[in-house]
Amino acid sequence: MQVNFYATLRPIVGGRTVEFDVGEHVTVRQLVGVIVERFPRLRKELLNEDGNLYPHVHVFINGRDAPYLPNGVETVIKPGDTVDIFPAVAGG
Amino acid sequence: MALGGYANRVAHVDLTAGTVEYRGIPEDWARKYVGARGLGVRYMLENGPQVDPLSPDNLLCFMNGPLTGTEANMSGRMAIVTKSPLTGTVTDSHHGGWSAARLRWAGFDGLLVKGKASGPVYLYVHDGIVEIMDASEVWGKGVHDTVKFFRERYGEKDLSVIAIGPAGENLVKFACWVNENDRASGRGGTGCVGGSKLLKAVVIKSAKKMPKAANLDAWKPAQKRALATIMDERNITSPRKGGLSVYGTNVLMNITSAMGALPTKNSTITSFGPSAEKISGEYVKEHILVDDPTCHACPVACKKEVEIKEGPWKGLRMESVEYEPAWSLGANCGNDDINTVAKLIDMCNDYGMDAIELGHPLSIYMEATERGYTNGAGGLAWGDTMAMVEMARKIAMREGIGNVMADGAEATARYFGHPELAMTVKGQGVPAYDPRGLKGMGIAYATSNRGACHLRAYTPAAELGVMPFGSLKVDPLAWKGKGELVKIFQDVHAFSDSLDLCKFSAFAESAEEYAAQYAAMVGVECTAEDVLKIGERIYNLERYYNNLAGFREGSDYLPARFTQEPSTMPGSEGHVCELDEMLAEYYAARGWVNGVVPESKLRELGIID
Repeated sequence: MQVNFYATLRPIVGGRTVEFDVGEHVTVRQLVGVIVERFPRLRKELLNEDGNLYPHVHVFINGRDAPYLPNGVETVIKPGDTVDIFPAVAGG
Repeated sequence: MALGGYANRVAHVDLTAGTVEYRGIPEDWARKYVGARGLGVRYMLENGPQVDPLSPDNLLCFMNGPLTGTEANMSGRMAIVTKSPLTGTVTDSHHGGWSAARLRWAGFDGLLVKGKASGPVYLYVHDGIVEIMDASEVWGKGVHDTVKFFRERYGEKDLSVIAIGPAGENLVKFACWVNENDRASGRGGTGCVGGSKLLKAVVIKSAKKMPKAANLDAWKPAQKRALATIMDERNITSPRKGGLSVYGTNVLMNITSAMGALPTKNSTITSFGPSAEKISGEYVKEHILVDDPTCHACPVACKKEVEIKEGPWKGLRMESVEYEPAWSLGANCGNDDINTVAKLIDMCNDYGMDAIELGHPLSIYMEATERGYTNGAGGLAWGDTMAMVEMARKIAMREGIGNVMADGAEATARYFGHPELAMTVKGQGVPAYDPRGLKGMGIAYATSNRGACHLRAYTPAAELGVMPFGSLKVDPLAWKGKGELVKIFQDVHAFSDSLDLCKFSAFAESAEEYAAQYAAMVGVECTAEDVLKIGERIYNLERYYNNLAGFREGSDYLPARFTQEPSTMPGSEGHVCELDEMLAEYYAARGWVNGVVPESKLRELGIID
């Protein structure tokens, strides 16, 4: 599964898009677990002390922030879904 | 005046008579409206809301707040306040850099300019005095050459130059003032008002004389606490760690595009797809970034200076590739060439034009071309970079069709016979957030007192979850609660714009930090609740001005494209902006009647007796 990273996360993963070897029916929560296992430095960027995503971190599935999907971070990612992960970003 | 912190000196300049008078600030006004934006609008009300923006009777205010030029973080801000020739509303537009601090160090809280000179002039501000000087030698010059000229005349040390360029001289309706080459008070056509008065520049020479707080014991901890919030790694302001500091404002380009909230090709779609990456902050950092300049008292350094390394503008070094103009002249125009984006922003800085607004007449022309609406007026294709550069020049110089486009988006759309192509509110083009994907921006644009604007109520802070320390996050696609949310943002920003602190301080500081710094500097009691009340008063003052200027029921709206044409892009697909529902909620929260401030509200807030 391909995952796109942005802003300050890119130097940690070494580029824009990273391929992760995950099985079918992986949920957002499980994918994040796989990601932080491969890139331990991402843990403190993405997860709070309880192991949940920070509110300012965005895991988009097809452009929608996972917590707002009907099943939240338990949403199963389908083949072909676009996954984008952003740290806190704003400006304007 | 009993209040501390202020210079208590405002220069009243009459360009017709060639005179300058110096007066204190009415204390009642300072207490009620603080400074910068709020105080400037109060002076505007006194001058009369019926004034023609381009008549000598219009007032042009260069205003500082009580924190400007102090040790307060992000306090290098100045508000330029006037009646806008683009919108017909009162407007204020802020810039960073050092000119605001130097104006304060030179001994002023503000300069109020009225009348019209008999020939080009500039104001030379130094040592507590303002001199009206002949500007014939620089009239016709671009901003960059104007700055160079004054640096040679007065020396670069301790000097700031705020200037208009040819666009202001030619009365382009969205001409702006540019400070120190590249920091624009962009919105609302304040530079056009300068041009109408034959005022070319404000030149300020002053060494650092940091104002002292009225309550020194309270000031140190208040300032220290505010700094700690900005430095904290949990906030995006964190120097060299937070996204805003590392990538600048353009760190937003990819996320708004990914979530279907990037108005693209004149808002016909809500995402720029893979092309967003090519004009993003990440791309800039990787390919053309050369420096991270900053402003007075700011550790964030969000400015991004770039150097173009290839193509027709190779060697051009400029600042700053910001999110808003990168969107306006990029995605909005179907242009994914970052070099051309940088070139166009640099042209805007030199001609003295609002880089956000420029994208609107361009993208309207492009959509009109695509739809066959140009009626023999030639054509402009999406993303035609060379043609965009040439058209920007024509607009600044009012040549050919550029003469029409120089009057703004609505004039351009009318010229093509299709006013619905103008993505404007009260005559001003929308900025870089599509309200079908970020609903809070819809009610913020509609109810902004200066026309479509993202900075009156920066709801993406909540909708993207970057409030200080993650204190609030709301669904960008939900409309419920956004009316009330926008009111709170508007009130807090009205206060901070009057201090005058950079808007980005709101990503780290809360109303408590604003209150503590203001209270210590000025020597009054102030709580977070007071911040909201004063901000509410300022927002109502502006609305009252606009009501008197003719903006009555029905003046708060959005272009139909946002309310009637659903987004077709991932993230916001199927969504429109539910403006009517949010407006009802908003007016209830404000206590307004269909956009009009009732007399009872004006009395309650102490705006009228």
